[in-house]
Amino acid sequence: MDPFEEQMKKALRRELPRAGFAARVRRRIAVQEERPRRAVWPWFPALRWVLPILVCLVIVVTLWYRQGKVERARGEAAKQQVYVALRLAGAKMQLAQSKVRQF
Amino acid sequence: MASTSVAESAASGMNFEELVETHQAMVFSLAYHFLHDRAAAEEVAQDVFLQLYFHLEEMGSPVHILFWLRKVTANRSIDEARRRHRRGEVGIEAAGDPASSPDTDQWVNLRLRRLVASLPERQRMAIILRYQEDLEPVEIAALLDISVNTVKSQLQRALILLREKAGVEKRA
Repeated sequence: MDPFEEQMKKALRRELPRAGFAARVRRRIAVQEERPRRAVWPWFPALRWVLPILVCLVIVVTLWYRQGKVERARGEAAKQQVYVALRLAGAKMQLAQSKVRQF
Repeated sequence: MASTSVAESAASGMNFEELVETHQAMVFSLAYHFLHDRAAAEEVAQDVFLQLYFHLEEMGSPVHILFWLRKVTANRSIDEARRRHRRGEVGIEAAGDPASSPDTDQWVNLRLRRLVASLPERQRMAIILRYQEDLEPVEIAALLDISVNTVKSQLQRALILLREKAGVEKRA
């Protein structure tokens, strides 16, 4: 260690804080311990139950809505099939009628 | 945890008061040399011991306590310096003039402390841990969560800067 570094050690030697430091720390600890431990969210216990219920509700509603959508799509497809069948039946009926009239 | 009001640390075999008495100079000086402000350093030191009190049961050994205190003080001091920098606060002692000090050795020490206080924060902490705590670069690296090579280069750069500044001031 050169003289400059020796001087650095001297300049940065440990120093004591003002007298009564330990007592001031104890006082702060006492204040901290006396302070009532307030919950960050006073309504947290309620939230603990409300939140999962809400999540479940959202899932159920989403599933119900999707299921409804699928059912509606299926119904629509069935309706279209009935229309096509009726149109075909009508056409066949007209053909039969025209043949009957020819006789 | 809070039930340790007579906080006896099994790790150190000391009660909390003894721990404060033993380590107060180390904790206070780390913060003081870093912040260059006694009031701010005392505040940081109190915070560190308050934190120690509530974490006392987690301490494994006296070496662990010493390492923890140094690490928490270093981090807390850096945070405090950044907070003060953002608010544009200046340490009370930084505003004073050491030139008025009659004792030459004291004057040199004060001058050096002010030069250390002007270093970038990482270099400053590395220098303080090196010369106040007499720690090796490996130990400083572990405390500051950086590589040993980074610590070595920071120490080297800081010393060059300090020598330059001290030299310039001597010539001036």
